[in-house]
Amino acid sequence: MSVVIPWLEQFAKGAVVVLGVALVALVLTIVWGLLGAAAKLSGNRIAGAIADAYTTVFRGTPELLVLLIIYFGSAVTLTWIGKQLDPSVRFINIPPFWAGAVAISLIVGAYATETFRGAFLGVERGQVEAARALGLSSSQTFFYVRLPQMWRLALPTFGNHMISIVKDTALLSVIGLEEIMYVAERGMTMTNKPFTMYAVVAVFYLAFVSLIIIAVARLEKRLNRHLVRAR
Amino acid sequence: MLKSFIAAAALAVSAFIAAPVVQAQEVLKVGSECTYFPFNFRDVDGKLKGYDIDVADEVAKRLNAKTEYSCLKFDGLIPALLAGQFDLIAASLSITPQRKERMDFSVPYRLSIGQFVAPKAKKLQLFDASNNVLKQNFKGIRIGLQRGTTYDSWFQAIVPEAQVVRYETVEQMYLEIKSGRLDAIMTNPMKTYLEFLSKPDGAGFEVVGPQITDEKYFGTGAGIGIRKGNEALLKRIDTAILAMKADGTLDKFSKLYFPFAIYPIN
Amino acid sequence: MSFDVALILQSLPQILEGVGLTVQLHLISLAAGTLLAVGLALLRISPNPALSWPALVYIYVFRGTPMLVQVAIVYYGLAQFEMVRNSPLWPTLREPFWCAIIAFTLNVTAYTAEILRGGIQGVDRGLLEAGKSLGLSAWHRFTRITIPIAMRLSIPAYGNEMISLLKGTALASMITMYDVTGVARTIVSRTFAPYEIFISAALVYLALTWVIQQGVKFAERYFNRHLRK
Repeated sequence: MSVVIPWLEQFAKGAVVVLGVALVALVLTIVWGLLGAAAKLSGNRIAGAIADAYTTVFRGTPELLVLLIIYFGSAVTLTWIGKQLDPSVRFINIPPFWAGAVAISLIVGAYATETFRGAFLGVERGQVEAARALGLSSSQTFFYVRLPQMWRLALPTFGNHMISIVKDTALLSVIGLEEIMYVAERGMTMTNKPFTMYAVVAVFYLAFVSLIIIAVARLEKRLNRHLVRAR
Repeated sequence: MLKSFIAAAALAVSAFIAAPVVQAQEVLKVGSECTYFPFNFRDVDGKLKGYDIDVADEVAKRLNAKTEYSCLKFDGLIPALLAGQFDLIAASLSITPQRKERMDFSVPYRLSIGQFVAPKAKKLQLFDASNNVLKQNFKGIRIGLQRGTTYDSWFQAIVPEAQVVRYETVEQMYLEIKSGRLDAIMTNPMKTYLEFLSKPDGAGFEVVGPQITDEKYFGTGAGIGIRKGNEALLKRIDTAILAMKADGTLDKFSKLYFPFAIYPIN
Repeated sequence: MSFDVALILQSLPQILEGVGLTVQLHLISLAAGTLLAVGLALLRISPNPALSWPALVYIYVFRGTPMLVQVAIVYYGLAQFEMVRNSPLWPTLREPFWCAIIAFTLNVTAYTAEILRGGIQGVDRGLLEAGKSLGLSAWHRFTRITIPIAMRLSIPAYGNEMISLLKGTALASMITMYDVTGVARTIVSRTFAPYEIFISAALVYLALTWVIQQGVKFAERYFNRHLRK
């Protein structure tokens, strides 16, 4: 076990990287999820079809492949787009941190789309009708009535999505991001103890996941406080 | 609702693209493996070091440019270069005809050789006295290589019936030959001697067979990789490397890691 | 750099060679994992804490850590121990195939146990009480009432787990195996065309996912046939 101690600092640095990617991915996941849900609920057939393609592709392709495609393909695509806008552009590339965060967010966002869609449908129509009757505009209804209630319904499942985001970060060493798995890989030959090194990584992820579970449980209690009844 | 979301998303994406790239000093983005001791590796203090790194930094200095490194697994380096993730590769990349079809190389700054390493106890006989391959002795043994390396191409051409196991990193290969999953590995002998064979870990292992320098597969040496169409930059890099050879800089860098010169002397 | 559509089609035959291994890994791990999950689910819902706590910990660990870490620990980690290398298990553990199966199975067991638990606990208590009042023994109540209904309730979640496992098999490429992803990565390292080749591989996975989804739809229709008008 003591062989791990000199590596703890590197592990800590890798952990910070994981946290960073997870945070960015979380924000983007919510964006894609809301966009996708909106598209599917809008009744617009083209938007719905695009959203359906999005969820099918990203829920049906291995995360590892999505990561590799986005890392290697993003530069090609973005450069092409960039060149259309400004011919003098040389190359636009995405560093592994961002490529990884975007890839993870697209994958989990596809699941989040379904979760949000179901949650939006779960908001009582009576609430929406009452809001409109009171004179709230479409966007006011959305932000003050539908969105908060959607969150309450979506939270348990979204908590699972957040855990997925965190676990997917383990793949990022494949595209060169120097996060915690990368440290373990380098350390395992030098210390000759791959089991120990990977065990450290496992403990870290368990801790991170546990924190999320606790946070989500607290949040759930808070969001449902209006439903608690006196015994 | 949908419209405002699309607008916001489009705004974010365009902000990403519109980031201006105006640099006072030329920046050379270099891709490397960063785990290939002693050619490119991260030292305990976190800094990128090694022969490849020294050469790349020195070339940049002579071109009045700064270097910016990206680390990636070896088999991803060439695809990433071609996709534009960086401009140069400094990762002991051998100059082979197969690679030259898709990219350009500088003049070689390092020799490229391959050799087998196996446990002493196994007494593997893979070559005969005149260094010809004994194909039948390759049957039933597992040989580890790094994916995408020239050793891979050599195997495919010379002994395609051998059971080859491809790994992402050399470190995984050492682990596997120590645990017994592999019967032999093929890698760079200079590197292996330094980090494995001369250490207590490698005591039970030895090189087997001759050093293989077949130009068809290992090329004329290792050079700096660059995309096609950058003739001007390539010329400047070549000039720098040749100058470094002439004034003894390559020799100095060699001796930092090896007791002998590792660049082509011609 | 241009987008070579022809290359996507050209590389498909080679990539399909990896399908056999992917399917093998998937089916074997699924079967073994589901079998073990039944036992684990029963342990988990047992009123005896000595049985339910270890089950809870097992499920927690395997759902809370990335699958890649689990695969790496089984393949690289176990080989670290002299005891393992000298044991009679070594010839099996030596093979990446079995290491992958073991890791995937352990993972499937944890997730499927939770799914089964959800299914079992979702069975209407009224139905069980009716069974009791009709004189059915506990064993019969379990096999004739709980299991069939739990299975029906579990189908959607189990279908998701099957797809999850399919995606997980791609991790076998990280321990030197030539499944669909492993073959794709090897081709990429020779042709330097990651975009096209990986998209080709993705299409293969999407096709396999579609097959699973059709199977799930069929199962749902079959198990819900009593509800059709």
